[in-house]
Amino acid sequence: MSVGLSLPAIVLIVASVLSLVGFFAIRVRLGAIPPAIAPARGRAGAGIAYAFTVAFAPWAKESASRHLPSYVAGIAVHLGVFAALARLALSVVGATPPRLVGGVLALVFCAGLACGLALLVKRAADPRLRAISVPEDFFANALVDAVLAAGLVATLRPGALPAFQILGAALIAYAPLGKIRHMLLLLTARRALGATLGRRGVRPQARRDSGARV
Amino acid sequence: MAPVSERAPDAAAVERAVAVLRSRLDARTAAFLSSCVRCGLCADTCHVFLADGEAESAPAAKVERLGRLFRRHHTVLGRLTPGFVGARDLDQDALAALATAAFGRCTMCGRCALNCSVGLDPAAIVRFARTMLGAAGLVPKGIRANADLALATGNNMGISREDVLETVAWLEQDLRDTLRDRSAAMPVDRAGARALYALNPREVKFFPLSLSAAGAIFHAAGESWTLTSTDFDITNYGYFAADAAEARAIAERLVARAQALGVEELIVAECGHGYRVLRWEVPEWLGRPLPFRVRSFVEVMAEYLAEGRIRLDPARNAARVTLHDPCNLVRNGGVVEEQRVLLRAAAADFVEMTPNRADNYCCGGGGGMLAASEHAAKRVEAGRIKADQIRATGAKEVASPCHNCIDQLMELNKAYQLGVEIRTLAEIVADALVLPGATDR
Repeated sequence: MSVGLSLPAIVLIVASVLSLVGFFAIRVRLGAIPPAIAPARGRAGAGIAYAFTVAFAPWAKESASRHLPSYVAGIAVHLGVFAALARLALSVVGATPPRLVGGVLALVFCAGLACGLALLVKRAADPRLRAISVPEDFFANALVDAVLAAGLVATLRPGALPAFQILGAALIAYAPLGKIRHMLLLLTARRALGATLGRRGVRPQARRDSGARV
Repeated sequence: MAPVSERAPDAAAVERAVAVLRSRLDARTAAFLSSCVRCGLCADTCHVFLADGEAESAPAAKVERLGRLFRRHHTVLGRLTPGFVGARDLDQDALAALATAAFGRCTMCGRCALNCSVGLDPAAIVRFARTMLGAAGLVPKGIRANADLALATGNNMGISREDVLETVAWLEQDLRDTLRDRSAAMPVDRAGARALYALNPREVKFFPLSLSAAGAIFHAAGESWTLTSTDFDITNYGYFAADAAEARAIAERLVARAQALGVEELIVAECGHGYRVLRWEVPEWLGRPLPFRVRSFVEVMAEYLAEGRIRLDPARNAARVTLHDPCNLVRNGGVVEEQRVLLRAAAADFVEMTPNRADNYCCGGGGGMLAASEHAAKRVEAGRIKADQIRATGAKEVASPCHNCIDQLMELNKAYQLGVEIRTLAEIVADALVLPGATDR
């Protein structure tokens, strides 16, 4: 572990602080969601728990079950991002993952990158998806792909770590500004909808009898 | 003078809508708007999109109509680089397009919310868009007229107290004749009754059979109940217009009436949005719990059955029957299994449609669409998914615990030549009632 911080590591830390400040400002501006008053039929907690567990399963929602390739690609990209954030955090303190972990990271980055590029192509090629897309959708995807690519290279060639850190810093600093903000705001959104469905007794609910196409 | 909804929005209307977007956006809706990643995977969860295949009908497209405006007024990049994030100012064209998306392509059924990959609620976003449109005077004239009539007269059809009393009087006589029981009653304005049974005005005006069915069931269960001759309306077109003050004012009339009668419980007749509003929304609007319990008549009937207060003979409903799940009662209200328990007991051949329960498709008539005549063609087109579901069951009857859905299903029955009978749950249950020793007393 190195004693002093490298310049890219300092940039990464500054970017993280800026990002946290940005997200904090968004959350403050958003305000509080008032507690529900109507007497509950089910449990809000059960709905929230469902929203953050089972609801992520491929069979839980038609958006996943009817679009398995996109669902799998999305999962792969997000796993790649989480792995990149973890690797960046380690890099700040100068830690290097063991060879086996490094191999797994390389695979995760590689899969995430391939899936990210596939989703980019899908957005550009699908007329319906293109109709609801904005330039930032392509930029955000490309930025994530660049970070995953840099992470892959840095895992295989440690000399590329500073480039990975700088690109990672760009991603982290940008996160509160564009669509990547969903990485934190979806926690609020998912919690809010989960609580409503839980209080009303709609979710969780046994789906085996619902006949939903899964 | 043309109705407000038929006029092109002017600059003042645009300003009023923007003012709502700037000042009245709540945290929940803002979180939803901030979270959409425009993945588009919600498209084929929506009955409107499945029916017309138009990109503009995908929930993400409807969300994006407001999302662009949200980013312009509520995000840094939207202010600095609007083109990059697809943010735009609201103008007359964008407002008109928002009106078509929010009132003409969405019933706010919430099926997309259950299936959104991120976990946001597009229906809540559309509801906020409707609030903006209301400020701009762009609520469809039929919804506007029904809300105004409810505010002026206490019910959305302007039915007078005298008409209610007259209708109930002949229904009571008919009930006594049918049951051959002189003690059978349809009490009105009876203070001290345990429960107030509140109605959809369509029952009084067009579907008295569902009202007399309720009377038979209450009588069989030995319930202490009453109707009210004034302020009986459970519907709320202010809710469809997403005008919180108006919706609250409409609901307050019924709440005040129930309090004046001193009932312990408000039983909501078979009406999906009426149940949702009174059970789930009104306490939030008033900022306090209601001083009486609120249940759907579906829940009450199921309780009667479970407690042995009514007995049912399924052989009396021999035809195959299927069940439509009203979105506001089931997916947005949580009343899911009670109607199934009742149908299994009251009908010999009950079959589910696919999918069902909270996953069922909207009939296409929700969200005030039935009152928005300018969107009638789209409403019937969107109902094709429901028609296909019904046809696949081979059922001869369709039960639906919602008068709004029943109106739409009756129209689909004609448009798609389904050849089925559409009935309320109470009518099916009443036909199956086993009444002990009815006599002329």
